[in-house]
Amino acid sequence: MNSDFHYYATYCAAILAGYSHEESQDIAYSDRFVDQCTVTVLKKLKAPAAAATTQLPLEMMEVRTDIVGLQDITRIWSSFHFLPRDLNSDPEKRCSKRYRNKYRLICGPNGELLKSTVELAHGKSIQAVGLAMHILSDTWAHTFFAGTPSMVINNMTNRCFEILPDGTERRITFRHSALTPDDLDNSIYTSSIYVNYENSIMNLGHGRIGHLPDYSFIKYKFMPSWGGYEEIIKDNPSDYMHAFCQMITAMKYLRGEYDSFECGKYDFDAIKGLEDEIVAIINKRQLSSADDWKALGEKLSGHEIEPYDIEKYKNEYLNAAKGDKDNTALGRFILAALAQKSMVTSKIFQTGSKLAGYSVDYQQKGFKGVKAYRKLTENDKEADDE
Amino acid sequence: MNRFQRIKDILIGLFMILFAVALFLAPEDSYVIIATILGVMLTVYGFKMLWFYFTMARHMVGGKSVLFQAIVVLDLGLFTGSLAYMNSFIIIIYLLSIFAFAGFVDILRAVEAIRFKGSWKARLFMGATSVVFAIALLIIGIIHHDRNILVYGFCINLVYTGLVRIITSLRKTAIVYIQ
Repeated sequence: MNSDFHYYATYCAAILAGYSHEESQDIAYSDRFVDQCTVTVLKKLKAPAAAATTQLPLEMMEVRTDIVGLQDITRIWSSFHFLPRDLNSDPEKRCSKRYRNKYRLICGPNGELLKSTVELAHGKSIQAVGLAMHILSDTWAHTFFAGTPSMVINNMTNRCFEILPDGTERRITFRHSALTPDDLDNSIYTSSIYVNYENSIMNLGHGRIGHLPDYSFIKYKFMPSWGGYEEIIKDNPSDYMHAFCQMITAMKYLRGEYDSFECGKYDFDAIKGLEDEIVAIINKRQLSSADDWKALGEKLSGHEIEPYDIEKYKNEYLNAAKGDKDNTALGRFILAALAQKSMVTSKIFQTGSKLAGYSVDYQQKGFKGVKAYRKLTENDKEADDE
Repeated sequence: MNRFQRIKDILIGLFMILFAVALFLAPEDSYVIIATILGVMLTVYGFKMLWFYFTMARHMVGGKSVLFQAIVVLDLGLFTGSLAYMNSFIIIIYLLSIFAFAGFVDILRAVEAIRFKGSWKARLFMGATSVVFAIALLIIGIIHHDRNILVYGFCINLVYTGLVRIITSLRKTAIVYIQ
């Protein structure tokens, strides 16, 4: 999903879920920050690099695709952008364990991990809510792709068609110029290059199909590597509407309005009277819907929405005393990111896959491994003491 | 990374460094060794690709191409191995091409990094050095009939790869999880 949805649409959903203007802005900020919290940013903040929720193209170019590098990549992209739908799924045909482990990382909405993600944010900070909303909405946009480099899963044939609103099909052309904007009028989109190497970074997520999953208006069909020569139709307008309404449901649960969060429930009632406006924004053929979502958000709350500024909470974090950093906005975001990464890594590890790395059960074996995660154990102790 | 993988990587890294030292001490006969190693490496890589096809790529749309590539690489590996006792000049050109190509890729990455306003100086320097080094080796090796320098270049690369492997194997990887 693009930054417009991850910031302004999330703001709208938060307002509709009952959060105040200020809370909604913080939720939207955290949702958007998930796409910016890189190791580079964290190092500048002198914060734990293990809390990174994304990687810059340049950082990925530097990553060695040995087992450690691959685990780093998989931890980040599977935890925050390509949440696996079903970690126990099996391909139709008999296959190797190695293939099955990658197949199981294919992202999709309404999986068990989504429920765990939303429940993990319950009773936590506003920043944890924003982080969970990012993950939730990406499960809809990034369906059918996995958050690990894999040619056998994420590659696709070059026959990809856009299905236009009148039902006609137009062949999509892919080019590999990262700096040239997508040409919507002629269906020319930028994608990553084809690399015939299983673990190439070019085969990460939806890179091979470019930004198509990130545009709300587009409906297209393609043939993914894993699909057994069957074409898949991806209906983004429908998926984005479901994502929006599911965010409202999830945030109502996180606010305490519902006792539990159940997958497959969408709060269409909350958008009664706004359906046409939202459908119009989602279906509008444009590179960014930021202005339209912003206008809707301001109409809903009656407040002006601040433009996103990555530096907004930087000084608060840098100036805080060492013991108080976890109580700042960025500190709370970092804690939420560590907890999410820890949870997803553990669930993947429990299926017998080491693609996301190793996970140690603290209750059974005590603390081992990456130091930054000690923060989680400290917070756990504090919670027990309280 | 589990304990076995760590120990395996450390041993491979140490072997690479020791092998580089051995080549450095006796460069005269090393072309045969290098060609043999290249042949073995390509053959192993060919078998690895075959393994990849049977365990992964056969499930993938268009996966048959991996099978064909595996056969070609396997064939090339056997061919390179057979060159070991025939012509050291071809081996030199082959090694130089790989070295120069790696440098060229580094330069391209540096140019891309400039576009993204990232750090590019070190990469550009390394890339340019590799290309210049390859050209210099070609001049020294062919015109001045001194091929040992190429072996020294190969040794440096081998030591670097070995060290990186050892350092990587010592990185912490486990993540704590609280129920």
